[in-house]
Amino acid sequence: MTPQKLWRKPLDAEKIGLPKAEIHVITDLCKGCDFCIEFCPKKVLEKSNKLNKRGAYPPKVVDEDNCALCSFCTAICPEFAVFTIEKERREGSESGEKQ
Amino acid sequence: MPILPADPEITEEARIGVYVCHCGLNIAGTVNCEEVAEFAATLPHVVVAKDHRYTCSDQGQELIKNDIKNSDLNRIVVASCSPRLHELTFRKTCEEAGLNKYLFEMANIREHCSWVHHHDKEAATEKAKDLVRAAVAKATLLESEIETVVPINRKALVIGGGVAGIQAALDLADTGYKVFVVEKQPSIGGRMAQIDKTFPTMDCSICILAPKMSDVGHHPNIELYTNSEVQEVKGYIGNFTVKVLKKPRYITDECSACNDCSEACPIAAPNEFDVGLATRKAIFTPFAQAVPSTYIIDRDLCLNEEGIMTCDKCIEACERQAIDFDMKPETIELQVGTIVVATGAEVSDPTRFTNYGYTRYPNVITSLEFERLINAGGPSSGNLVRPSDMKIPKTVAFIQCVGSRSKKGNPYCSNVCCMNTVKDSLLIKEHWPDVKIYVFYLDMRAFGKGFEDLYRRAKEAGVMFIRGLPAEVVEDPKTHNLWVIGENTLQKEIYKINLDLVILSVGIEPCKDSDAIQRLFTLSRTSDGFFMEAHPKLKPVDAPTGGVFLAGCAESPKDIKDSVTQASAAAARAGILMAQGKVTVEAITPKPILENCRICGMCAQVCPYNAIVVDKEAKSVQVIDAACAGCGTCGAECQFEALHMRHFTDNQIRSQIDALTEEDADTKIIAFCCNWCAYAGADFAGVSRIQYPPNVRIIRTMCSGRVSSTFIEHAFARGAGAVLVAGCHPGDCHYIDANYQTQRRVERLWKKMARLDVDTDRLQLLWASAAEGERIATKIREMQSVLAKLKPEGVEKATKAFEGR
Repeated sequence: MTPQKLWRKPLDAEKIGLPKAEIHVITDLCKGCDFCIEFCPKKVLEKSNKLNKRGAYPPKVVDEDNCALCSFCTAICPEFAVFTIEKERREGSESGEKQ
Repeated sequence: MPILPADPEITEEARIGVYVCHCGLNIAGTVNCEEVAEFAATLPHVVVAKDHRYTCSDQGQELIKNDIKNSDLNRIVVASCSPRLHELTFRKTCEEAGLNKYLFEMANIREHCSWVHHHDKEAATEKAKDLVRAAVAKATLLESEIETVVPINRKALVIGGGVAGIQAALDLADTGYKVFVVEKQPSIGGRMAQIDKTFPTMDCSICILAPKMSDVGHHPNIELYTNSEVQEVKGYIGNFTVKVLKKPRYITDECSACNDCSEACPIAAPNEFDVGLATRKAIFTPFAQAVPSTYIIDRDLCLNEEGIMTCDKCIEACERQAIDFDMKPETIELQVGTIVVATGAEVSDPTRFTNYGYTRYPNVITSLEFERLINAGGPSSGNLVRPSDMKIPKTVAFIQCVGSRSKKGNPYCSNVCCMNTVKDSLLIKEHWPDVKIYVFYLDMRAFGKGFEDLYRRAKEAGVMFIRGLPAEVVEDPKTHNLWVIGENTLQKEIYKINLDLVILSVGIEPCKDSDAIQRLFTLSRTSDGFFMEAHPKLKPVDAPTGGVFLAGCAESPKDIKDSVTQASAAAARAGILMAQGKVTVEAITPKPILENCRICGMCAQVCPYNAIVVDKEAKSVQVIDAACAGCGTCGAECQFEALHMRHFTDNQIRSQIDALTEEDADTKIIAFCCNWCAYAGADFAGVSRIQYPPNVRIIRTMCSGRVSSTFIEHAFARGAGAVLVAGCHPGDCHYIDANYQTQRRVERLWKKMARLDVDTDRLQLLWASAAEGERIATKIREMQSVLAKLKPEGVEKATKAFEGR
């Protein structure tokens, strides 16, 4: 509404209850196409430096807290090697569990 | 003098009637009116010359009408007061006698003569004769004109959906006109929707606004475009073509505003409506009462980039399948006759006042943040909490004039902050009577209806008003409490007070996109940045551009009541135009003379209204009469005498110069004054009886931009002692910016004069407003020294240098 800079931390920032993610990478299924890293809108994955059984470098989770649980990584992975599950709603959640 | 094209349509021989008015003793007390009338009778083409006690009276007008019939007069000159006062009266008289109203001319021998030369009756009489001679000379060349009639499209556009825009739209729609409302934000409502209560009656702001918003949403005559911006405006009064960019919401009309999508959305950010005190999702509705009652996706925030759908949580959540990521921006073209500009204002940014520590100290908040905190629907559910620990404060201070009335902020008073603070302090007292409240002020301004009552109630409730703004706010880093230090200027003592919460009463500023709006509509702005009205007293809602009206804070800071009042006024003014269905344009617009025209396009370049269309390929020049305001700066720019400026033609103005320089030219100052500022200022000098030397002769043009350098050169060639060009102050020009052309032309002529070894002091440029009579008089007094040092050789040199101009 206003072009003015919004600098304050919103009073309800702790209460809004955004979902918390748990990201699982099945490293040995990964063939290293990097789609998940490339397309993650929140940039929570990075290439690791550990070779897997298939001779690829699978992704590693660097910023799990920032995951928005959009599950695009799951959808885009050709090898079904990555999936996310919703842990619990963040502290103070009003809307509770919702699957 | 170059050979000018003969003025068309002058076929008949001029038969002029001259009427010298006594105006009781106002003129006759100083000027010998009989002598002036006798003199007038000797002038060429004058058939009748009479003096009369009150020419504007019914008898005086009857006299003129009878003479027109009996003596077959075809031009009328009245020597009396300012044409700004009675030109309309006498034009009507002429029309009633069957004479075209453009065949009338006035000589101003009251404001510009008798009233300002009380003590020199002889010189005043001579001046009056000169002025009559010039008027007769111009009258001889006057032409009858037919005014252009322009049809008015009976549809209106309202830009801005704040309370002013809402009111203007509803009034116009209820009158029966089709109205388009364009709002930049996703919802209408504007600033008023953010405010908790309104002063002085303490109504709940959104409770009184929401029904009006809903009316706009449902009115059969209103078409609402939110999340949209005006991109282009073409045309003129009555016939505007407006291009509106409608940005996509990505939500279809199927939306039932159930909030399921927002619940599902994983992305949150500070909410603009709550000034960042609460969060919203990437898919959101700005506030509960939003109109239209639907959602919008903030694509800057949404995970889905153009072409890549990474997240579909909202789509999955939406039962009605109302989400459409493929929506594209649309450009809509609207045809409207009138436009109301109600683009509102912004609150000023207090971060530049570093001494108050806003953004450094969490417990320093702005008055707008306060409104959201105290609002029951706001982020703290109406609890006034301090942001550092979410506790209710025990001591609170308001600091007034943050961003107003200072050199560091804006120089003007923001009009609403005093009463807003009084209202806010009472709100706190209502909820938490024990909270101690200080208000630090410069002056408390409680000028409106019911304001003083409210102010008194606040004082009775125990709010402490202390005169003297704090010099500094310092935070105790442990408690986040604030020390406020300053001087109580009434008691002459220093205060240092410990507070839990400090509220900065921030002022109102013009919108940042005012520039764009100004360009779209060729509006003018005051030095404060707010849009300027056509006349500050008598046309307070008309913009200088015909068919455009102003409402709300876009024009100046104002409260809700004033915004609504002005909006209704703007709607009524627009309604008048649309009810008439047509408008006549004063016949002072230029007519191109194509034989002389070289299609250089200079006229179109200097036109402040884009009213001249030059097509270099088709070799055509077209003047859009309805868009032209008649300033004449195009005529002054044209080097080829190819624009015939009706009613202010080159020949007419030259004939005035000739008449005024016929005798003792070297002792005279020829002054060109613009109708709106300098001429009106000279009138004001007359009304104020400011005395100045009688050797100045004023020629009226609509704008100083009409004054071609050849006019000035012509005056020097005729031996004039000095020339004064006077117009509105830069930025105040009645014709947007035409007076910048004046400045450029005068500066160029100064260089030329220096090159030709003509004393440059003999040409003076003055900016004077309609209220600056003394400034004009002072200038004329100063210019006497220029004439005093002028030697016959100097006059001759200039005459030779500019011969033939």
